[in-house]
Amino acid sequence: MSPARADRIGLLVVPGLAYLGLIYALPLLLLLLKSFRDATGAFSVEEFVLIFGDPLQRSIMARTLRVAFLVTLLALLIAWPTAVVMRRAKGGWLTLFLVAMILPMSLGVVVKAFAWSILFRTNGFINQALMGIGLTDAPIRLLFTETALVIGAANVFLPFMVLPIYAVLQQQDPNLPDAAATLGAGPFYRFFKVVLPLALPGVVAGCAFVFSMAVSMYVIPSLIIGERQQTVAMQIARSFLFLRNEQLGSSLSTILLLVAVSVVLLSSWLAARLGARS
Amino acid sequence: MLDAGPASTPDERYLDVVAVRKSFKGVTVMDGMNFRMARGELVSLLGPSGCGKTTLLRIIAGLMPADEGSVILAGSNISALPPHRRNISVVFQNYALFPHLTVAENVAFGLRARGMSKADAVQPVREALALVRMQDFADRGIAGLSGGQQQRVAVARALVVRPDLLLLDEPFSALDRKLRETMQIELKSLLRDRGITGIFVTHDQEEAMGVSDRIAVMNAGRIEQFADPSTLYASPATPFVMDFVGLSTRLSGRVTGHDGALSVVQTPFGTLRAPGHRPPGAPVMIGVRPELIRLEGGAEMNRVDLVLEDVAVLGSKTMLQGRPADGARLLCELAGIRNGKARGDAVSFHWAVEDTLIYDAPDGAAA
Amino acid sequence: MTATDRFFRALCWVVALAVVVFMVLPLVITVLVSFSSSQVYTLPPPEWSFRWYQALTRRAGLREALTLSLNLALISTAISLVLGTAAAIGVARGQFRGRAAIATFAVSPLMMPGLVLGVAMLQFFREIGLHDAYWSLLFAHVVITLPFVMRTLLAAMGSFDFALVDAARTLGLSYPRAVLKVLIPNLAPAYLTGGLFAFLASMDNYPISIFLTDAFNRTLPIRMLQYMEESPDPSIAAISTGLILLAVIALAVAARTVGLNRLVQG
Repeated sequence: MSPARADRIGLLVVPGLAYLGLIYALPLLLLLLKSFRDATGAFSVEEFVLIFGDPLQRSIMARTLRVAFLVTLLALLIAWPTAVVMRRAKGGWLTLFLVAMILPMSLGVVVKAFAWSILFRTNGFINQALMGIGLTDAPIRLLFTETALVIGAANVFLPFMVLPIYAVLQQQDPNLPDAAATLGAGPFYRFFKVVLPLALPGVVAGCAFVFSMAVSMYVIPSLIIGERQQTVAMQIARSFLFLRNEQLGSSLSTILLLVAVSVVLLSSWLAARLGARS
Repeated sequence: MLDAGPASTPDERYLDVVAVRKSFKGVTVMDGMNFRMARGELVSLLGPSGCGKTTLLRIIAGLMPADEGSVILAGSNISALPPHRRNISVVFQNYALFPHLTVAENVAFGLRARGMSKADAVQPVREALALVRMQDFADRGIAGLSGGQQQRVAVARALVVRPDLLLLDEPFSALDRKLRETMQIELKSLLRDRGITGIFVTHDQEEAMGVSDRIAVMNAGRIEQFADPSTLYASPATPFVMDFVGLSTRLSGRVTGHDGALSVVQTPFGTLRAPGHRPPGAPVMIGVRPELIRLEGGAEMNRVDLVLEDVAVLGSKTMLQGRPADGARLLCELAGIRNGKARGDAVSFHWAVEDTLIYDAPDGAAA
Repeated sequence: MTATDRFFRALCWVVALAVVVFMVLPLVITVLVSFSSSQVYTLPPPEWSFRWYQALTRRAGLREALTLSLNLALISTAISLVLGTAAAIGVARGQFRGRAAIATFAVSPLMMPGLVLGVAMLQFFREIGLHDAYWSLLFAHVVITLPFVMRTLLAAMGSFDFALVDAARTLGLSYPRAVLKVLIPNLAPAYLTGGLFAFLASMDNYPISIFLTDAFNRTLPIRMLQYMEESPDPSIAAISTGLILLAVIALAVAARTVGLNRLVQG
């Protein structure tokens, strides 16, 4: 292909790029800039100081981060065995696992959050099941607890943890654990020195996805934990839709944005480091 | 098949595979497999895809359990041991180097796995790399290595742990031809110098002939013949071995009578004689190695008249091929360049009667 | 395989099967509740009935919400497919520097908190004087759908042999026609997967849409949440069941044409 032709082809990116630049990047940039200005338009971090100085806001942020960590941890713990099993599953079993992952992923947050709000009710399925097995005598209050939130969120985000790990495990050369074994490595050594390090890029990607989604989730906490225990995202929505305190909302959005971007950059850096060991 | 001899010494029974049976999903791929080799021997398992050679290798390595039978190494029964306790190293077909480790870390893996400290492992690793001439690559990653380099690292990694037995699964198949020949010679002398007992798995008979003391020719889960290369070539035990190891001229026929110690066989190409007695009327297959065939000969020799289908000049030799018919193959190898012959010429193949190979063909068809 | 290996293998299977139940349970419950005759979400239901499906006809604004969501999803996906194809070709075949960065940028909206994007767009549209909810939503939904399309197309074009396009041109087709006749049909699976996920993402989107709606333009998820807050009853489960059915059909079609494993990669 001639250089001139190649350049013309390169121009094909312009429409999409321009669109994203205008409707996606520019608004974000403006939001970022605006949150660092006060009412007069001068550079100011006053709003941020106010937010971090407010014990209520701090506790909301702490809760949001804590929940996000717990969700990521729970998702990771149950995603790993699932991905391992999926890697070796054949035929009907593999289809079952894939459908169990992909179908919920294709449904919206609203459908699933609603389902969990039903499940967690005092007279809902989970309580009925627990009482039926005999684990409790009286219904447990599940709805409006942080536990329920973590479980519900982990359920919604689980496919985003399982699939990247599954993808990485699939690419792994099946001879590698065998090679390690013939060289004298027992099962634990094999896991920690061969299987896990090679799966790490998938694990990092999955954790990054889930954490950044969990830290900014709005619908799930709204339905499961309610107004009394807020997350940062709920605060943002409230400040725009009900409180008319757009300053607060914008600043919180910037904080959330910076957290999300940091998570992405950190995970990319980690992934590059893991891959660039050679 | 069995190298059953009088009272074999422990060294001769260094590796003893006894009555091994293996099935997959209800299909028995191997039954009553017996295989024995001596310490310091280099043996090849040679056969086409699906003959069971890799299965046998994996059973010996402990990567796959046998349904029945046992594997005994240097006197101890290792059948129940998992692979990481067997001290049997394997070089895999795709080398299976760990992508997240450097060359030196790959080689050190087995030592570290057995509890050696990083510091203690430095010297053995350096020596192992020097042995395969990869010492300059010690701190490099795996990704940029060529096939030959990867193979050498894999060999160093397998040898540094001082295995009792070394298994190699088609180690040269991923290399191009020139490299393959060089590596075969290198590897063979490397293993010889250190007295390593080794088993190669391969489907390439030239490779097997080049590196092994003895070759086990396998077919459908059975060892058809287990002998040194020259015996396999000059006296193949079955038509399969004859076809798999080297080329041959091949005809089918029927025994019509005897002539002294010879059998007289009627073939579509005329009457031939072969050593040994077979009952008259028995369907047989006649074979002879192409380089033993001449274009002229005496009346006491076997003779076949044919029309040349193809003349291939290969440099050091010329292959003359007759028109194929009824599953027969007529192949003659003459040394050097023979420009005198061309397609369509009528010629005669002559060979000595005692060079004739003859086999029963129970179903009447050429094997 | 040692005993340890077997133990861990069994443990993993127990967890994996529990996970399957975990994932499917909410959906099954939703479907069951939608056919219950009771207003309270108890199970097993006292009686089976269609009353909540019939109740849907009385739900204010449901049909409009469904129409709006479908409209937005279809149009934004279509636009994304066009923009995405062009951009993916440009990245795959162009020679300029920074192609990898552009690819990352194009997929990055997926990693951003939806809420923040919604806020940012709301303020931006106000700033430039765009007050029409429908157009705001449409512009926003292209941003939602484009990354899904790009992700799949970039991967597919990465492994597509462009020599096929060149071959078509030597046979007399112009570049655009060659792309149309050779590239796109070959990449059909990627279009199907990317388009499907994009469509579903648009249908399901809440966090961005909530900031851009007004009283007359409510998408389906927004309506549903409104119902949950104002008048919750199992008719919401009926809507959910409808969406589940839609997803099942879409996935079945995709799985049949493209294969489940491909879906996972894309």
